[in-house]
Amino acid sequence: MRTCLSDAVAPSVWKASKRVLERCGVTVKVPRAQTCCSQPAWTAGHPDQARAVARHTIKVFSGPEEVVVPSGSCAGMVVHAYPEMFRGQPEEEAAIDLARRTIELTQFLAKHDLDPGPGAPGPVTLHDSCHMLRVLDESRSPREALAKGGCEVREMQHTDRCCGFGGVFSINFPELSGRLGEEKARAAVESGAREVVSCDLGCLMHIVGVAHREGIPLRARHVAEVLDR
Amino acid sequence: MSTAAVGDPLVDLLLESLTRRKATGQVVQPGDAGRAAARWMADAGVARAVLAGDPLVDRIGLADALRREGIDVLTWPTGLGKRESMGLEGPIDVCGVTVPARAVAERGTVVLEASAGHGRGLDVTSRHHVALLPADRIVRTLGEALALTYADGRAAPSAVSLVSGPSRSSDIEKISTLGAHGALTEHVVIIR
Amino acid sequence: MSTRRRRADGGVAYLDVQGTLRERTVDALRDRTLRGNLDTAATSWGESRDAMREGYGLDDMRERAREIRRSNIRNLPALLAEMQANVREAGGTVVRAADGAEACRYITGLARARGVKVVAKSKSMATEEIKLNEALQDAGIEVVETDLGEWILQLANEHPSHIIAPAVHLNREQVAALFREEAGTDEVPDDREGLVAHARVRLREKFAEAGIGVSGVNLGVASTGTVCVVENEGNARLVTSQPRIHVAVMGMERVVADWDEAAHILQVLPMAAIGQDAANYVNLITGPRREGESDGPEEFHLVIIDGGRGALRGTEFEEALSCIRCGACLYSCPMWRSVGGQAYGSPYSGPIGAVITPLLEGPSSPASRDLPFMSSLCGACGEACPVGIPLQDLLVRARARSSSPATRASGLAFRAWSRLWRRPGTYRAWMAGWRLMLRARGKDGWATDLPGPGAGWTQVRDMPTKWPPRR
Repeated sequence: MRTCLSDAVAPSVWKASKRVLERCGVTVKVPRAQTCCSQPAWTAGHPDQARAVARHTIKVFSGPEEVVVPSGSCAGMVVHAYPEMFRGQPEEEAAIDLARRTIELTQFLAKHDLDPGPGAPGPVTLHDSCHMLRVLDESRSPREALAKGGCEVREMQHTDRCCGFGGVFSINFPELSGRLGEEKARAAVESGAREVVSCDLGCLMHIVGVAHREGIPLRARHVAEVLDR
Repeated sequence: MSTAAVGDPLVDLLLESLTRRKATGQVVQPGDAGRAAARWMADAGVARAVLAGDPLVDRIGLADALRREGIDVLTWPTGLGKRESMGLEGPIDVCGVTVPARAVAERGTVVLEASAGHGRGLDVTSRHHVALLPADRIVRTLGEALALTYADGRAAPSAVSLVSGPSRSSDIEKISTLGAHGALTEHVVIIR
Repeated sequence: MSTRRRRADGGVAYLDVQGTLRERTVDALRDRTLRGNLDTAATSWGESRDAMREGYGLDDMRERAREIRRSNIRNLPALLAEMQANVREAGGTVVRAADGAEACRYITGLARARGVKVVAKSKSMATEEIKLNEALQDAGIEVVETDLGEWILQLANEHPSHIIAPAVHLNREQVAALFREEAGTDEVPDDREGLVAHARVRLREKFAEAGIGVSGVNLGVASTGTVCVVENEGNARLVTSQPRIHVAVMGMERVVADWDEAAHILQVLPMAAIGQDAANYVNLITGPRREGESDGPEEFHLVIIDGGRGALRGTEFEEALSCIRCGACLYSCPMWRSVGGQAYGSPYSGPIGAVITPLLEGPSSPASRDLPFMSSLCGACGEACPVGIPLQDLLVRARARSSSPATRASGLAFRAWSRLWRRPGTYRAWMAGWRLMLRARGKDGWATDLPGPGAGWTQVRDMPTKWPPRR
């Protein structure tokens, strides 16, 4: 799954993910017809609109392969919300099936014990996106993947605190969102690393966007890009 | 049901928990209990003691021990007016002496039951609080204590107070300060 | 804070909620003192909470607590009937109030009938919800909040910012100034201990005077008709023992079946709320004083409030009724930690407030329009909740239920969005257009001024137009 954010702002992310997987000997299909997991509509409180787009996603990924997503947020959406979204609907079984087969990129690497070889050395600091941490209940797999790739991680303070992105929240309450982003950017810099990485592009765009506006010197890359030499 | 026996770890656990709750405790034999309690109150500067109307208080001769220390003694019900019993009039350094129905070792909690002889405000209207606790009334957990308090076939007391340490307030700058309303001190005399 | 209003008679005013939620958050973000106090409180709570998880197995306790509360809500009518019968048997009076107005009428009527001039109160969110203080004051009755934090707020004419520590947004200097004004003298200490000692004496005067003590109820235990009032200071002990009449106000959902369940919930409550294994005082009250007792109220009245709660049973929001009002979700919430409770404009703030306020006030209310959207859906609240309420999921459902010009406009936008994004051809075209726009707006790899909804983005941050982002 490419993710709409990667399509919109950073195609390099899904391309890096594909390369990383192929280096591990995985055969990767990237269905051209895919669009979006529909999280923006679902979380904005428009379930019917979300379902319309999600139905297409279910069809595109009708299986049987595992669906690997370079985003904790999108993976979490499919895994956690699709069963609820389609409860009592004709697509319910297909939705549950897709939810079962969907997995975030670093989780996939850990699950199948894959090693893409050496990546960038770092040092970087890792931002745990809230969806990775709480929906997927995962903080180990990104760190494992970076360690295997020989990348040094310097942990920042309060890694369990939200960066303030939150999808539509970033536009509805910009001041609050920006303040939380600034706190996160400063925490990242204080870790001693000059670059923040994450499994979630949305968080990164927000953190680095605030950093650039506020003159905080911080680079950013997606974990897939760090693993990709 | 675990209750305390002689040399029992429950007593130690209770003492540890009391310390954590910023209360104090001591273990005495029945013959020394009256003197020990009176001594503690004298050291704390207590001017008047209000004693629960409980047979245990008489058994340990507390009233006499207090008078020997020069402490004024009243027994519940005191007949004092509201302002005096709240400490707005009369001596400030008043100590309420309670006899808990039981205690919870894990939490450092004493369980006070209101009755004709045991005023529900005994410990909280006073500045100091001394509890006279027979060691065989100590149980380990809150669940056990509540099951005993509200056992089938027993009429529920009008008021039960689970007291875990002196009054605390953290309303100013979110840092715990003692004594906003209830007793400023709590001392448990464990008798066995 | 910009949200104060004094009544002509100097009594507590219920603040007109001013401005929009967003405006209030902007105000709050500017208040450095507030931010500092909130952060101190939230951080220390977080540390205590971690200690509870490690030392006391809080996570396992949560599981059982969740089951208990869900079964309580399923069996609510039977539990309430049992509670009522047992309170009456113990000599108390029970009133089932359909809404806040009915509850206030009863309590005000009782005060008038008994000739009561002063009412002493201990902390109760339910009485804030029904605006009891205002109702009593309108009837010419003096109301004194006796919880130290609530009294401070009463003097400051402000709303609480947290369920458990209401004045957490004020510091020592601010408090000393309020006490000086109340006492009409400068002779007020300004160290913490001195301030507390001062309050102790001032408030005891009120306890001695009060004809009615009003408390909330943390938990009702149906099997014995007992109300549990949990506190750290001792003022609820005094409120429920000194005045001649005790009125306990309870939300109808706050009931458990028996003492086994109560013991579990009473243990989990302080662990989640204050990160400690016990609160200082837990008051268990069953009816008025018995014959032969020399203290304690002669009358006990339990007012059980529906106020829209009953209607939530059987809906997708039913789990919100499990709430035991511990305040853990507030401390865990990045929004609450940044702006405090007053910005929410409701007695219930934080994530639980953002879920239930819209439910109690209706889908077209300002609360419904705004509150559920002030969240990044980070899920820290659901994780912190000791009874396992999936607050972040309830927030999404609350958003779907909200009905306002803004949400209708958003609905239209998303309808267009779904038409374009459910087909690969139109999706790709949209993406191509977007990327063109970004390239056009971008300078050195950054756009600082996006059109339409993007303006919200560029108001406070730049948008990278190349990835990885340029320096």
